[in-house]
Amino acid sequence: MAISRRMFIGRTAATIAGASLASGFGPNAFAQTTDTLRLAFAARGVRTIDPAKSIQGADEWAIIHIHDKLVEVPLGHFPGSVSEVQPSLATSWTMSPDAKTWTFQLRKGVKFHKGYGEFSAEDVKYTFDRLRNDKALGSNRVLFDNIADVKTDGPSTVVFTLSQPDPLFIMGPLSHYSSSIICRKALEEKGAAAFEKDPIGTGPYQLASIEADPSQGVKLTANKDYFGGAPVTPNIQVRYIADTTARTLALLSGDVHMIEGVRAPGWVPSIKQRNANLHFDVASPGSFFTISFNLTVKPFDNIKVRQAIAYLIDRDQLANAMAPVSQRTYGLNPPSFLGGFTKDTIPAAVRYDYDPKKAKQLLTEAGFPNGFSFNADTSQREDYSSVMLIIQEQLRIGGIDMKLNIKDHTAFHADQGKGTNTIFQRSAAYPPVPTQAIIEQLSAAAEVKPDGSGGPNFSHYGVAIPGIDDMLKKAMEEPNLDRRVKLIQEIETRFLTDMPLLPISDNGYLIVRAANVDLGYQLKSGYAHWRLTKAKIG
Amino acid sequence: MRDLGGGKTMARYLLLRLADAVPTILLVLTLVFIAMRILPGDPAIAALGDMATPEQLELFREKMGLNAPLWLQYINFVWGMLTLDFGRSLMNNQSVLALIAYNLPYTIELTIVAMILGVGFGIPLGVLAATHRNKAADNAVRGFSLLGYAVPDFYLGALLLITFSLNLGWFPINGGGEGFFDRMHHVFLPAVTLALVKAAFIGRLTRTSLLEVFGKDYIRTARAKGAREPRVIYRHGLRNALLPLTTGIGLSTLATLSGSVAIELVFNRPGIGKLLISAISERDYAVIQGGVVIFSLFVVLINLLMDLVYIVVDPRIRVQ
Repeated sequence: MAISRRMFIGRTAATIAGASLASGFGPNAFAQTTDTLRLAFAARGVRTIDPAKSIQGADEWAIIHIHDKLVEVPLGHFPGSVSEVQPSLATSWTMSPDAKTWTFQLRKGVKFHKGYGEFSAEDVKYTFDRLRNDKALGSNRVLFDNIADVKTDGPSTVVFTLSQPDPLFIMGPLSHYSSSIICRKALEEKGAAAFEKDPIGTGPYQLASIEADPSQGVKLTANKDYFGGAPVTPNIQVRYIADTTARTLALLSGDVHMIEGVRAPGWVPSIKQRNANLHFDVASPGSFFTISFNLTVKPFDNIKVRQAIAYLIDRDQLANAMAPVSQRTYGLNPPSFLGGFTKDTIPAAVRYDYDPKKAKQLLTEAGFPNGFSFNADTSQREDYSSVMLIIQEQLRIGGIDMKLNIKDHTAFHADQGKGTNTIFQRSAAYPPVPTQAIIEQLSAAAEVKPDGSGGPNFSHYGVAIPGIDDMLKKAMEEPNLDRRVKLIQEIETRFLTDMPLLPISDNGYLIVRAANVDLGYQLKSGYAHWRLTKAKIG
Repeated sequence: MRDLGGGKTMARYLLLRLADAVPTILLVLTLVFIAMRILPGDPAIAALGDMATPEQLELFREKMGLNAPLWLQYINFVWGMLTLDFGRSLMNNQSVLALIAYNLPYTIELTIVAMILGVGFGIPLGVLAATHRNKAADNAVRGFSLLGYAVPDFYLGALLLITFSLNLGWFPINGGGEGFFDRMHHVFLPAVTLALVKAAFIGRLTRTSLLEVFGKDYIRTARAKGAREPRVIYRHGLRNALLPLTTGIGLSTLATLSGSVAIELVFNRPGIGKLLISAISERDYAVIQGGVVIFSLFVVLINLLMDLVYIVVDPRIRVQ
């Protein structure tokens, strides 16, 4: 068959036209509905929605809607005091004078999803016994170490006995998603593996399905009999879109209503350029970003070197670069936590405002008038690498050359856990309990070990040099909240003087929300997940 | 029907080729097994988080068989592969076979559609360039080829996604779709992304092969005998240029398969590539091993297919 030039061009054009027609399945692939709130997170797929096992932030959005806890933090912010903690499955509670016994009265008539019967004190006991069981796989066991015993007293009363006093028990372990109350009957009937994929709770939404395609994720449907009233939006879909570009485009196209943002310089302004009407919800404090100096490695064993670095790092500049998610911190505990130091309350001697002259002077006194160079590992994850690259530049002003080795995030964590770094970075979120981060990052018991079995006290503080362990023990044994908070502030002042660790910033958890979605309340602080029971799509 | 060398001989040939692949696959499996164990990163911490107690981490390792001696883990792993028991994901406890069974069709469909489009565009472009050597059409095709080589597929994918999905709303922004038409709708843009790059390669290869063939005596003879130009091009030219083109298309298919990794991420569609990337970052040994086995099998199968195509396109090649 003969083919002329005209025929060739004609056939090519027909092919292109055919391709265009193939695309004409609809003018817009994203039909807008108001009955399903679609969220997309930076994760690759659902891991588990069993509250005792979950460690993936994205999964927690499903967990907190399927389950209730005994108590809840107020919508939109962390409680400023114990009195702000809200009742949930517990309607009231009392604390013994020594802060070691907590008694909860439970809500009556609450039903578990899918016909699994009425919630009772037995379910509470079962939940916490399971969380404390070393022989069961769990992720946040350490949060519940202080619980010595859980007893029921009839179907509607439960009593917690603690090993050490804890006046913040309801703000700490009990407000964490891990302490979501699960249905004993359901877990025993289904078995642990099945329960992970079909958990039964009492929350405002119940699980509808887990889709095989992560981009379709977890589907939840409203619990119309919810004791707190049925949610405004009938369905929630938690989707998993790890790629930042794909996730951003999903929001901009209207395919999803809310996405997890990126904590990196310039990301928010670039998104605002595309759509100025988007809402940016930042839950502070989010992750505490700290750097720890390895006290067993020279020259970081020298306090003057550590203090010089603290003066060279301009934390205000860092926070501005990461705006609006980042805030400079003064102590380890953020201002939104009880006793957290603010710009006005931090003692001047440990404030460490940017001061390169003072840094130079300290370096000279330490025997490094021209600075020095060292190697440090960091993670490729945006929030780590961005901060460390800025710090790298800032240290150069003092003649310090930090050679960064940027690693895959899992490999970075593995090496951190073995204590092989010089300046360690940690980005971790904590419940609003001011002792938690101190225990984890500064106590001798949490010292990092070469075999990886230690904790995240990367500096070896309290082992390489005397630390704050005695002060911490005193604080932990103090039942009076005001006195405890004062002791914690003394601990903060002490470690900031010794400088094994420099708090850099709190990097809030960022969700970008479509202009037509009303959250129903204003978000200021809190955990990296919040309830959407009042959210409405306009 | 063309004689492919006799049924029995052919079957023997195929079996021999498949047997040849066994050591290759075993070598790949061994390398993956070793690489995963050398890479820093503890799957137990990746699964349970750094707040898990040492006892719980130990329990996890025990449950997942990570505490067993390496040689035993290796034997279990190879035996598992042979019996199609790929194990369960360390991260979400799902059967690896089920994960692969769900994701694989999406990768295959992406590869097939991309190759159909790539070959469908590439060969006519190559013919156009070869028949208009050093003219405007040739220059345009060469320019397109150069661009195709130079632009990374993930970048091109993002551009197409922004233009056709975000701005025009013609295509879905993510996912793989359900049902034939929905899946075709979802696969079209990712496939076009890969196809444009493939078309650049195939177009250039077609042009080069054709130009070489055009210099042969039989082409001159055909023209001297007064054969019409399209007959010279397609019957005598293109047919004889098919052999190197077949090799190129085979290699291109393999490249498309591996290139699907980036495209599946950019378009957020299910697939083996995306599954593997997630598994590597989470040190999910079972999924990585299962995924790599499947990829290796595909490489072997595509190579085998190419060998068979050679026999079809070139009658001079016969099974010895």
